[in-house]
Amino acid sequence: MSNPTQQPPRLLRAAVAGSVILMIAAGGLFYYASQVASEKRKANAGNEITVTIHPKSCEPNALTLPAGRASFRIVNASDRAVEWEILDGVLVVEERENITPGMSQLINANLEPGDYAITCGLLSNPRGTLKVTPTAESDARAKARPAMTAFIGPLSEYRVYLNTQGGALVQAVDELAAAIQAGDLAQARALYAAARVPYQRLAPAAQRFAQLNNAVDARADYYEKREQDPAFTGFHRLEYGLFAQNSTDGLAPVAQQLQADVATLKAQLLAQPIPPDQLVNIVARNLHTLADTRYNGEQERYSHLDLSGFAANLEGTGKVIDLLRPLLAKSAAKLLPQIDTAQQKLAGRLAGLREGDTYKPYDQVNDEQRKAIASDARALADTLDGIDQALGLSAL
Amino acid sequence: MKKTPLALLFTLGALSAPSFAADASSLDLVQPISDYKIYVTDEVGKLVTETKAFTDAVKKGDIATAKKLYPTTRVHYEAIEPIAELFSDLDAAIDSREDDHENGVKADDFTGFHRIEYGLWAQNTTKGYEGFADGLNNDVLRLQKQIADLTFPPEKVVGGAAALMEEVAATKVSGEEDRYSHTDLYDFQSNVDGAKKIVDLFKPQIVKKDKAFADKLDKNFATVDAILAKYKTKGGGFETYDKVKDADRKALIGPVNTLAEDLSTLRGKLGLD
Repeated sequence: MSNPTQQPPRLLRAAVAGSVILMIAAGGLFYYASQVASEKRKANAGNEITVTIHPKSCEPNALTLPAGRASFRIVNASDRAVEWEILDGVLVVEERENITPGMSQLINANLEPGDYAITCGLLSNPRGTLKVTPTAESDARAKARPAMTAFIGPLSEYRVYLNTQGGALVQAVDELAAAIQAGDLAQARALYAAARVPYQRLAPAAQRFAQLNNAVDARADYYEKREQDPAFTGFHRLEYGLFAQNSTDGLAPVAQQLQADVATLKAQLLAQPIPPDQLVNIVARNLHTLADTRYNGEQERYSHLDLSGFAANLEGTGKVIDLLRPLLAKSAAKLLPQIDTAQQKLAGRLAGLREGDTYKPYDQVNDEQRKAIASDARALADTLDGIDQALGLSAL
Repeated sequence: MKKTPLALLFTLGALSAPSFAADASSLDLVQPISDYKIYVTDEVGKLVTETKAFTDAVKKGDIATAKKLYPTTRVHYEAIEPIAELFSDLDAAIDSREDDHENGVKADDFTGFHRIEYGLWAQNTTKGYEGFADGLNNDVLRLQKQIADLTFPPEKVVGGAAALMEEVAATKVSGEEDRYSHTDLYDFQSNVDGAKKIVDLFKPQIVKKDKAFADKLDKNFATVDAILAKYKTKGGGFETYDKVKDADRKALIGPVNTLAEDLSTLRGKLGLD
């Protein structure tokens, strides 16, 4: 195998050196030409900024410009192929890589107001700064409600979340079914608790599928003969067996059906698109049911695992809030701190009822505490109800 | 890390045409973008697992195993470069070349895959590379975390297909990327697969806008794949890049550049400029 690190022959070295000099000269010429051209362009459209990459620095290396579309003409006056990037924190906003020595490239960017960093050629070169100042237009845009395209990212990320939690749910129910099949009561109880967590995280979205969700999560009261009704299936039928009857007897077919149902649920969650207004509605609705009925402990009446379910509901809600956070910060600056405060209040309330790495059994949570949970959940749901109007979701 | 200027000229044309395609149909992009994140998450998971095995071999001084794992580990990075290179510092730490550093191979901050590649092939050693192995392992773990936390910018995902083919044009056809090991064809295939993945995920939307364009993309992908297939080895790997015939290198340039140029119009076509 050839060894590329061997010294090249002298003639070749001379040729390379010569071509480098030529390239630098060409770069100079190009720089001059582009300066002239850029002056002309400035006279016409304005906004094209020339940046020259020297071997150890960029010129200019500190830029200030107004928000909006800008064009950067990057001239490589160094002797290596290099890159130039605009960074927002750790993230690249725009970049051009492999700019050939002596050549220039144009970067178009649509910049929001803020402070950015610039990488300039070699990695050891000092970074530059880019300050983008607000304009009347950018201020107006910031106040305007977001366009439909602004929701593609958050909605995509929520679908990824449903995929992750759906996958975790399918796996947890498979493990639960195996423990039931093996007749291991203690293990089955522990795995029931574990499987409820991913379910409660995605419950707001699952509740869109009325029939399927009933098969998974319906309580005994929905059936004529309650616990004795042969149609009573799903998680809570298992919960009844494991925690009220203290047995895995007869639960295997129920667990098997639940395996099939959560697999279908996962597929449905991925198949059915959620419009932007629904994304907020479903988590708000989930919290309203907590505040109106579930706070009384009806959901996990045999296992008393309600608190960890509430905490998982709140995690699912927190995911949606975080996904919409950039849009809220821009277009609903007054509402966002109210949402955060309400979320922290409920989170703090639940955290106060933790016992080690689990939660207090709900039958040990007194009426006053339960009402306080309901009240905090309602307050959060109410602030979330304000998002629709603030972001103009229904009008999209 | 490197891309070509070739396709840039064509990007400009697309950028200058303003698009007001932001309507309800833009929600059609949610499924392919989230499916792309699921794909990237899966790939970065494999990158983490296989990098651990690769760096373990380096730390054990097992040169033969490390050389064997180097190209197959990297493919998981190359396939997801449109997202991976959004993290500028990590991309530099994981995938920079000696010429990105003032002091070349001797630079302290020349780290990552290519630093270890240099040790394995140019110096035929793992001695002194234990720290680089640990560093690479930590960096891919950090990358995995950053990707998990990132809401994928739709325009970067759609633009990523072009970015990958530009990468091929700039660094694979010339053989600069894996200059010590000459394992460029693994990366080459992986860049192409990564670009094709994006095109396939957005296929329904692309076909709706321009069926002939979709067909042309497929045809050029097939041409590139057919040439690469000639250099596949029995074990599922690839020949070293120095074995690729001149005629084939030339035959690759056309479809690669056409793909890069065509794909650079994708953002505009899908209303994301």
